[in-house]
Amino acid sequence: MDAFNNLMYGFGIALEPMNIAYVFAGVFAGTIIGMLPGLGPISALALMIPITFSMEPSSGLILMAGVYYGAIFGGSTSSILLNAPGVAGTVATSFDGYPMAKKGLAGKALAIAAYSSFVGGTVSVIFLMLVAPLLSKVAVSFGPSEYFALMVLGLTAVVSLSDKSLVKGLIAAVVGVIISIVGIDMQTGTERFTFGSIQLLDGIDFLVVALGIFALAEVFYMLLRGGGGKEAPRNAIGSLKLTRSEVKEIAGPVGRSSVLGFFTGVLPGAGATIGSFLGYSMEKRIAKDGHTFGQGNIKGVAAPEAANNAACTGSFVPLLTLGVPGSGTTAVLLGALLVMGVNPGPMMLEQRPDVFWGVVASMYIGNIFLLALNLPLIPYIAKILDMPRPLLLSLILIFCMIGVYGMSFSVFDLLLLLGFGLVGLGMRLFGFPAAPLILALILGNIMEESMRRALQISGGDWTTFIDKPISLGLLLVALLSLGLPLLKKRRKKSAAA
Amino acid sequence: MTRLNTNQWLALILALLAVAYIAMAWQIPTFPLPRPVDSDLFPKVLGFSLLILSGFLFFEKPTPIAGADDIDQEAQQGPLLLTPWARIIVTSLAIAAYAFLLVPIGFVLASTLLCVGLTAYYGYRRHTVNLATSLGVVLALYLTMTRVMDVYLPTGVLPF
Repeated sequence: MDAFNNLMYGFGIALEPMNIAYVFAGVFAGTIIGMLPGLGPISALALMIPITFSMEPSSGLILMAGVYYGAIFGGSTSSILLNAPGVAGTVATSFDGYPMAKKGLAGKALAIAAYSSFVGGTVSVIFLMLVAPLLSKVAVSFGPSEYFALMVLGLTAVVSLSDKSLVKGLIAAVVGVIISIVGIDMQTGTERFTFGSIQLLDGIDFLVVALGIFALAEVFYMLLRGGGGKEAPRNAIGSLKLTRSEVKEIAGPVGRSSVLGFFTGVLPGAGATIGSFLGYSMEKRIAKDGHTFGQGNIKGVAAPEAANNAACTGSFVPLLTLGVPGSGTTAVLLGALLVMGVNPGPMMLEQRPDVFWGVVASMYIGNIFLLALNLPLIPYIAKILDMPRPLLLSLILIFCMIGVYGMSFSVFDLLLLLGFGLVGLGMRLFGFPAAPLILALILGNIMEESMRRALQISGGDWTTFIDKPISLGLLLVALLSLGLPLLKKRRKKSAAA
Repeated sequence: MTRLNTNQWLALILALLAVAYIAMAWQIPTFPLPRPVDSDLFPKVLGFSLLILSGFLFFEKPTPIAGADDIDQEAQQGPLLLTPWARIIVTSLAIAAYAFLLVPIGFVLASTLLCVGLTAYYGYRRHTVNLATSLGVVLALYLTMTRVMDVYLPTGVLPF
């Protein structure tokens, strides 16, 4: 009953006319910004900080939360239509969303994304409200060994998706980690693999690699396939309507991924990106038609979309109840809250219930706005596919450039983008999967940090990773996730022989 | 001597890169205070992992890859400048030129030039539509970034 009363109190705040306007403005701005490759939730939130200076803390956070999940939603649109995920959390959506768009089912893919995001967001808000304190206790018990094991599991889960060759998937993952550690080592201040370049001291940004490997490589690939002079097929959007059997088909994946996404979001460091990849890999593994994932399977769009929105809400648990930002995006949110004079942490529920419960209630409203706003807009947004192909290819290039330059103001990053575009093309031509590389790039730093911290604590004793039951369990599951596809392959071979 | 297959070539290149990476990892300076794990450990682990995986790749049978077989065969017989690989090279050079011209001539001019030029090169013949769309999108992006979002983009030779 307590949770219900608190929620009612929260709705009292969220339903104030100005706060409703802030939710609307937040999800709208977030959706638009998230759609532009390069302008993900972090940049969107950072841009909002000056606007929230003069606001009530509850209103400010309501606006920013709207921008956050709006941007995650918007990211899925560019993933589906252009295969250019500007947000790491929507990379997994492009695996099946883009093939669907290529088949003329862009409208359906976008509608599935909208519904799944809505369900994922709503389910996780209920979880956030009911079990936030309990979950934060579990999350806080994770030490560096457990984090390291969790990162390894996240990576192996994605590598095991590489149907063609597990070895190539593992190579892509190792290369991703290699790229992630370029720059100054945060623990000792030592320069690593910078080749004396000042531009590489800060490391290589995820966005440069993601846009290069996905969007630019896609442009190059289309050029190789003769996409230049040919026009894009007309009426490629297709219907937005889902049949009853399709709804039935995605109901399970959406439900499971919503829960999985939320729990992933609660763990600091494992946000929307890992959530969406885990959701995707889980569904691929358990689906009877798992082999069609990557070719435009609707479950491959529904699962990551439900998971990333759920994880987005889940990441508010450690932020609001512990004051620990679980991701770069929630770190920006934490900074904004501190600027507004709110100290998130265990005392926040008692000291600022207006902020906590106001935001929780606003998320229900925000999810409804997202659905109401995006479904009618889908046909207009998807018109992008009607554009003549040569013009579309050039415009994708400009979007990539502005995304990278607008973030770093560095010509060097534009050249890096070109380099990664060519690498992405090579990977595609030789059958190396891009997803493990991107995920490894995102996780690499945290992985190394956790590994080194665990080894510092244990005095260099490597058994620390298998001494603790949680990390041992996670590592065993990781091993299993790599071993199972191999066993399956062997069994198939022997059956064929 | 038997000819190497694609995987074996790739494995050899990756192995060479791994060896170079391990050599560089060995040159990472040690931290003055002794600690159980230093900055060089993780790179060394990564280098050796890549080397071992290259070994596995060398012995893996190559499977047919959809990507490599999709190259436009028709265009390969056409004029040299329009062959698929020429398109990649010209686009790459155009991007590199864009990167170097962006600051001196400004975002609007450089982006419009790149967009109009590449669209025409890719075979779109309605030049007025090309120019109007490219300029419109570039201007819209420029004004949104600079006026609404306060993100600086180089003005170059234009006064705004």
